[in-house]
Amino acid sequence: MHLAHLRLRDFRNYARLDADFGPGFHLLLGGNAQGKTNLLEAIYLLATLRSFRGVGGAQMVRHGAAGYFVGARVLAAGTSDIRLYWSPTARSLTLNQRPVRRLTEYLGTLRAVVFCTEDLQLVKGPAARRRRFLDLLLTQAHPGYLSVLQRYLQALRARNALLKARTPDPAALAGFTAELVAAGNEIMRQRRELVPRLSALTRLAYRRIAHDAEEVRLDYAPSVKAHFAEELNRAAERERALRLTLLGPHRDELRILLDERPAAQFASEGQKRTLAIAFKMAQAEYLTGLHGIPPVLLLDDVMGELDASRRAGLLPLLERAHHASGQVFMTCTEEQWPAELGRRLQRWQVRAGTLRPLPATSEG
Amino acid sequence: MVSLPETLHQLTAVLGELPGIGPRTAERLALFLVQAPPELTQRLASALLAARERIQTCRVCGALTESQPCALCTDARRDGTTLCVVERPVDLLLIEKSGSFRGRYHVLGGKLSPLNGIEPEDLRIRELEERLGPEGVREVVLALPTDVEGDATCHYLARRLAPRGVRVTRLAHGLPVGGGLEFADELTLSRALAGRQPVA
Repeated sequence: MHLAHLRLRDFRNYARLDADFGPGFHLLLGGNAQGKTNLLEAIYLLATLRSFRGVGGAQMVRHGAAGYFVGARVLAAGTSDIRLYWSPTARSLTLNQRPVRRLTEYLGTLRAVVFCTEDLQLVKGPAARRRRFLDLLLTQAHPGYLSVLQRYLQALRARNALLKARTPDPAALAGFTAELVAAGNEIMRQRRELVPRLSALTRLAYRRIAHDAEEVRLDYAPSVKAHFAEELNRAAERERALRLTLLGPHRDELRILLDERPAAQFASEGQKRTLAIAFKMAQAEYLTGLHGIPPVLLLDDVMGELDASRRAGLLPLLERAHHASGQVFMTCTEEQWPAELGRRLQRWQVRAGTLRPLPATSEG
Repeated sequence: MVSLPETLHQLTAVLGELPGIGPRTAERLALFLVQAPPELTQRLASALLAARERIQTCRVCGALTESQPCALCTDARRDGTTLCVVERPVDLLLIEKSGSFRGRYHVLGGKLSPLNGIEPEDLRIRELEERLGPEGVREVVLALPTDVEGDATCHYLARRLAPRGVRVTRLAHGLPVGGGLEFADELTLSRALAGRQPVA
């Protein structure tokens, strides 16, 4: 799978951009605030319809413009033409010139995995980060997961609203509880299936990068121990007192253990950073295994954070993406781009919202 | 900057209150109306007033009607032992169009929606209960939407009607007729699988 053409209009600091990309490595070089990450953001936006910087549409519109446009041609089994327009009053998404009615039909057209500095929050941050990671991965793996998740969240919001009432109607509460349990059980089933596989892939990736003896293990810790409906029933009194749904996938935790000790507390900064990258590598490997084609990898300035030996551990993944005619986009400031990647590399100069191909260097 | 004359501005504002009409469409409609032949606006105005005056909800089933009770409720050929519960009056018309239901209807007027403050008391549930005995209803068919709120309302009604000794059923989830499997999303497919039937 690769992005063959990218077209931007009034997106971030790009007034207009039309660029063609082949499979393989693309190194985006440029100083700070020139628009390197914005390119990755646009590609990620096409893949997931959200920004990995966690911002809304308005912040991605170029200053003074009415709305942004992001379009792409993606080559996988066939060719897909994607066009996304967003403005505060109008938005449209078309796939091969036809409006997209259901997200589940669209997601999967372009799959991408992003590596960025915020990934560290996967290890250090609150459980919500890790749940979002699981949800995104499951949505990428099985688009139907998204509809179940949305049903669950609707049921949860409705149920919480009922619990906020002074005297919740028990029968109405039971109605929404039934919905919550049905969707929640399905979510937990999928998470339970995913985590052991992800754990094995993360362990492998970690070992490759760190050359350390520590064992990584991911442990799925659902807030529901065995029987969702019964446990909710037992929690009824506490729920009424706290006016909140206290159990369910929205309270799940994904524990990260390094030698059986919680990584958030016991891992060093360097280990945490390595863990975060291993997580993302596991995501990429999992998707590659599932679909037979690697996702597009987007690396935002993460190489700079790693020392040379850890960097080398990341290379096999990038190499493999290259062999499977996958695609990698990597941002670097001029001084610190990894020399290991000298060969077969398309270099691009990013300057003030423009993109220009650079001639191949002679070092490789 | 020249703005619209005041009356035109007011007309635009009123039209903009209609569902599905944004500010641009409202303005376009208003400009059209003030330039249209006078008899068109006359007809529109009197049609609006007449419809608003005569259309009411049937006090028995809650459907839109001009007479009390409505034609469906007074039709002796309808089977009074089966009652189909729908969310909105328009759903009733949809089921009628299918021509495959011969019972009577009951419009709930919404679905449970805690987020919008819609509680059981805001729906026509008591009216439904009051019909069961006198009309000799034996089966209540729930034809509510399959979103979270619709399904929760189904659970709620099933529970509430259980002590009344009526059979409560709901419409099946399944594949659209005449289409391939590719037209069903995964949730529909899995529900269709769960509700599979032996081939006679």
